[in-house]
Amino acid sequence: MNPPATGPSPVVAAPNQWSAPEFASLYEEHSRAIFYLALRFFGDEQKAEDATHDVFLKAFQRMEQFRHDASVRTWLYRIAINHCQNLRQSWHSRNVHSNADDSVWENSAAKTDSPLRVLETKELGQRIQKTLDSLSEEYRLLLLLVADEELSYEEIATLVGQSADAVRGKLHRARKTFAVHFEQTA
Amino acid sequence: MKHQAKLSQQQQHIETNQSQSQAGQDFANSDELLRFDATQITMPPKIAERLKQSVGILPPPTASARPWWKNLLGQ
Repeated sequence: MNPPATGPSPVVAAPNQWSAPEFASLYEEHSRAIFYLALRFFGDEQKAEDATHDVFLKAFQRMEQFRHDASVRTWLYRIAINHCQNLRQSWHSRNVHSNADDSVWENSAAKTDSPLRVLETKELGQRIQKTLDSLSEEYRLLLLLVADEELSYEEIATLVGQSADAVRGKLHRARKTFAVHFEQTA
Repeated sequence: MKHQAKLSQQQQHIETNQSQSQAGQDFANSDELLRFDATQITMPPKIAERLKQSVGILPPPTASARPWWKNLLGQ
């Protein structure tokens, strides 16, 4: 269950410029969420790495644009969504698609995991990616955002530029569609 | 308040899903499945290294992002 969204992180206390420790703290706290969004958005580890790097670089450069009426995580998601959608559009014409998700999953299982566990984890990740790839970009994005427990429906609605009610309705349909498609990947 | 509404809807959704086709054997819904999925991802350490290099070579961000041509034209 999503806990209440926290207010602006203390790491944004500096007015117009990140200090190195603040920025490191920001990265430490939010990079996983941004990387995961990018990874499942693109289904490609290299693109997700590039996107995560670029998102945090933009955040570093645009500190003065951060408005404290939103959480820093929401702000980072805003940058990430714009960045990913722009990249998607630019890549779309070239029709570059990769299912190079394997390396992530080969690295993700703990070294103590049994081979079966490694295989299960990798297969699960591939099924999830395949399912997300089969959904519309809108559904995929909504599902990825709502999976972040730190985001409220209202924050998600703001991020996707829709009303909270519209988001609830679409999420209901997105979850059902995901469940159906996920079953089909078994 | 908004989180209570979200919580309530999630609980309702879980109940609905449990009587329907489940997203996975061990997960009540797609939210849980994706949350688990996110925990399995390993952050590539090279992102932080690249970022450190990129930030290091950038000039410090300034409060005014005034375009150079405005400075030139005195606008």
